[in-house]
Amino acid sequence: MENQPSKIEHLSFEEAFVKLDETVRSLEAGGATLEEATRLFEEGMRLARICHQHLSATELKITHLQRSFGEQMTLLNKAEPEADA
Amino acid sequence: MAVYTVSQVAEYLRDSLESDRFLADLWVNGEVSNLSRSAAGHFYFTIKDSESQLRCVMFRPTREADRLWDGASVIVHGRISIYPVRGELQMYVDLVQPAGTGELHLRLERLKARLEEEGLFEPTRKRNLPPFPNKIGVVTSPSGAVLHDIATVVQRRYPLVELVVSPTSVQGEQAALDISDALNELNRLQEIDVIIVARGGGSLEELWAFNEETVARAIYASHAPVVSAVGHETDVTIADLVADLRAPTPSAAAEMAVPDMSLLLGQVKEWQRDILAIARRLWFEKQRDVDSLVQRLASRGPQVGDKQQRLDELTQSLSKSLWVTLNLSRERFQGLEQQLHALDPKSVLERGYAIVQRSDQGALVRSVGQVGKDDELNVRVSDGSFNARVS
Repeated sequence: MENQPSKIEHLSFEEAFVKLDETVRSLEAGGATLEEATRLFEEGMRLARICHQHLSATELKITHLQRSFGEQMTLLNKAEPEADA
Repeated sequence: MAVYTVSQVAEYLRDSLESDRFLADLWVNGEVSNLSRSAAGHFYFTIKDSESQLRCVMFRPTREADRLWDGASVIVHGRISIYPVRGELQMYVDLVQPAGTGELHLRLERLKARLEEEGLFEPTRKRNLPPFPNKIGVVTSPSGAVLHDIATVVQRRYPLVELVVSPTSVQGEQAALDISDALNELNRLQEIDVIIVARGGGSLEELWAFNEETVARAIYASHAPVVSAVGHETDVTIADLVADLRAPTPSAAAEMAVPDMSLLLGQVKEWQRDILAIARRLWFEKQRDVDSLVQRLASRGPQVGDKQQRLDELTQSLSKSLWVTLNLSRERFQGLEQQLHALDPKSVLERGYAIVQRSDQGALVRSVGQVGKDDELNVRVSDGSFNARVS
């Protein structure tokens, strides 16, 4: 099952955001049984919480690609003239 | 000794001229005269100096043709060949620059024209950036303010991403190759969603690497869409023209590459409000449905067969107190039902009365004044109806 709670908590921001959009659309379209609508409601609220969690207190990650030794040497040699680039 | 036709000589001359690499790609400085424009839009003119002149034709005039007027000092680029029909030597011009334009600038214009012709700047191949990137490649100098500017903007707007820095020199002899390598390196990772190629402001010479063909080709070949931010807003490099998106500054490039968290949060909150409103409305409607179901059950009284079974099912699903209410109200409604039955027109007809309507208008006949001789009437009795005519 796609909508199991355990799985929903592991969605990325994008996945949760897109899914929340879909959930709101399903609810807006109407025609759902009370049970189905209640499930959509609960899922939507959980997705919204996941979106909030993702966006709060995240630290930007920066990684530097490691070049080969030879390339690093060339970079080092050329580092001087472009220090203010 | 052989004798040749004029055409053969013209052909030979053309081959000789066109196989000469010097004549195939040259810049010539001179003054424009005898400028004319054909109906097809081609420009014909002569460029001359104090001693010589050269016929010129420009078949596909660009905006640069604005620089052509009699007496204008220009530098034209093109190739030299002959026009066999007249046996005239002429220059086929593709670029026009004002006299005094520097050499670097001329090189830039020539490469630009060539790459444009090849389709590297085609607007149709510009790709959209992904709305929610996970990894953003940054091709820039590892030292310097550019990386810091980009990181600051991304941290503020959308810190969910990872910046993958592919360090490179951004000026000097090897810079163009270095930048291309850095781009290719990121593309080898295959998980980069968008690449920012950036450099701070500088002179045309300092920005030169971003005008080199190798860099243009590397950007063109990139699997991930590329945002360029090279120099100041006024310096348009070839890298900017090939890139999928051009940003005026490195900070602006970062803004284009990631969505704005505060807008996303606003959207999420809006959706939460929508969901709540929809749920509230839905529950209210269902509550009303239950209420009316109870009323309907109450107005019916005991049933038999499958209806009884359905009633039992419904009863089971209702709460006990609901069932008590239902029982109490049933007796009241039974009395009401009898009164309603008495008012039903059908029960009146059963007692021997009839309803008379005019066939033409359907109007009920309440008085003798409403009918005349030969009028068609419709008469309804308890078990059906028939037509009649007034005699």
